[in-house]
Amino acid sequence: MNARTIISDLLLGLIPIVLLVAVWQALVSFGYAPVTLLPPPGHVFQRMVALLLNTTYQRDIAATLFRLFAGFAIAVILGVSVGLAAAVNPTINAAVRPIVRVLAPLPKVALYPALLLLVGFGHESKILLVTFDALFPILLSTYYGASTVEQKLIWSAMAAGTPPREVLFKVVLPAAAPSILTGCRIGLVISCIVVFLAEMITSTDGLGHVLVTAARTFQAVDMFVPLITISLLGLILNGLLELLRSYLLRGFPEV
Amino acid sequence: MMRRVAPCLACIGLLLVWQLASLALNNDSFPTALEAIRAIPAVLGDKDSLVNFGASLRRMTIGFSVALAVSIPLGLLMGRSRAVASFFNPLLMVIYPVPKAALMPIIMLWLGVGDLSKTLVIFLGVSLPVIYHSFEGAKAVEEKMLWSGAAMGLSAIQRLVRIVLPAALPEILTGCRTGLVLALITMITSEMIARQSGAGNILFNALDMGQYDTVFAMIIIVGAMGIGLDALFERLRARLVRWAEPQFDIPLSFS
Repeated sequence: MNARTIISDLLLGLIPIVLLVAVWQALVSFGYAPVTLLPPPGHVFQRMVALLLNTTYQRDIAATLFRLFAGFAIAVILGVSVGLAAAVNPTINAAVRPIVRVLAPLPKVALYPALLLLVGFGHESKILLVTFDALFPILLSTYYGASTVEQKLIWSAMAAGTPPREVLFKVVLPAAAPSILTGCRIGLVISCIVVFLAEMITSTDGLGHVLVTAARTFQAVDMFVPLITISLLGLILNGLLELLRSYLLRGFPEV
Repeated sequence: MMRRVAPCLACIGLLLVWQLASLALNNDSFPTALEAIRAIPAVLGDKDSLVNFGASLRRMTIGFSVALAVSIPLGLLMGRSRAVASFFNPLLMVIYPVPKAALMPIIMLWLGVGDLSKTLVIFLGVSLPVIYHSFEGAKAVEEKMLWSGAAMGLSAIQRLVRIVLPAALPEILTGCRTGLVLALITMITSEMIARQSGAGNILFNALDMGQYDTVFAMIIIVGAMGIGLDALFERLRARLVRWAEPQFDIPLSFS
């Protein structure tokens, strides 16, 4: 793929986004939609810039990010360690597998009321919900990554005198890294979505709360801004993870 | 034999842990598992709640099937044509981290609180993973099969239906399975935001009114729905694509 095709692909990809904004603008300027229901795009972006410079809004973003990262970090630690343990040890596998089988298809949002009642309305319940939701993709992809490591790699390491405990960290973990990182990426997007939803249900701060407040007071402009912000945050975090991935996997063939 | 029994054992184990935890905590807002199970017949026996469940399931079915009807052809086209792929990819990438259920307040402004907006949100939530998996599936179809098809005089549309679709089917069904779990999640959240009817409505109203037995009974019911639908779908998948080994025998749930 040369530079020219990349550029033409980019231009082609911009068309639907530009079209979407154009239709949006047209709907407002030709009067098909009242401004109170659908504010013009320029207006929304102005408001967005104004809010981004506002300290209260920045604090909301910080609250959301804190919950997102706390929940995501717990999910990564738990998911990777349980996934590795299950892939290496058959006894743990026999115990973990059915539990995961039951818990993975469970709609986790339905657990949120229980979490609220158990750990309260503060940070904890939201962080726990994020952890629950992000945990399974990470755990599963770690498990599949670690259980498909080539046996020859492990044998060669052991033949070279690596103690079994170190094989886990020196061979299995790096070999499973591409799969683990894919799981983390799915988990990260899920965390973004879930933290927002949890804040919409009950919260006193955070982006989800901003959206709900705007909805209750019929401020259509303020409803668009948090949605665009969370989507931007998701894209930025995804990009950062992609950078981390290409750094960590620099020795790997293209995956 | 063991494969059948293990998930049931896991269910019983989890309920047992719940029972012990609630006995140990002895908290008013955390009923024991037995109390919650005892509250299930009362919830299911009520005529109103049955109507609510019916409405939820109807919206979910409509949203899910419309999403499949749109996303599978789109995903297949994207997988086979680079122009279509680069046209839609950036748009989908921008939409991906937006929490679909959080669009509910805005869509409610335009389409009201009724069935239409909730079904639309379910449709949006389901379509992305299905598009993604159909795309990946169609991309991986072996070129030689397409060439032979073309050499034997199949038109482009015939090739898409008779070669690409069956070849991509295992991957598409993986996407559908993720979509199914997602449909359930979006259904609950959308009903939680627009409390008019449905299972989410019962759950969160019970939470607000402090009927903790009902809350936990609903959590069990919704969880059982998720697990049951997933198991049913797995049966269907096993029949449709007997030739393909499941890549993940547990769905990577998205939110």
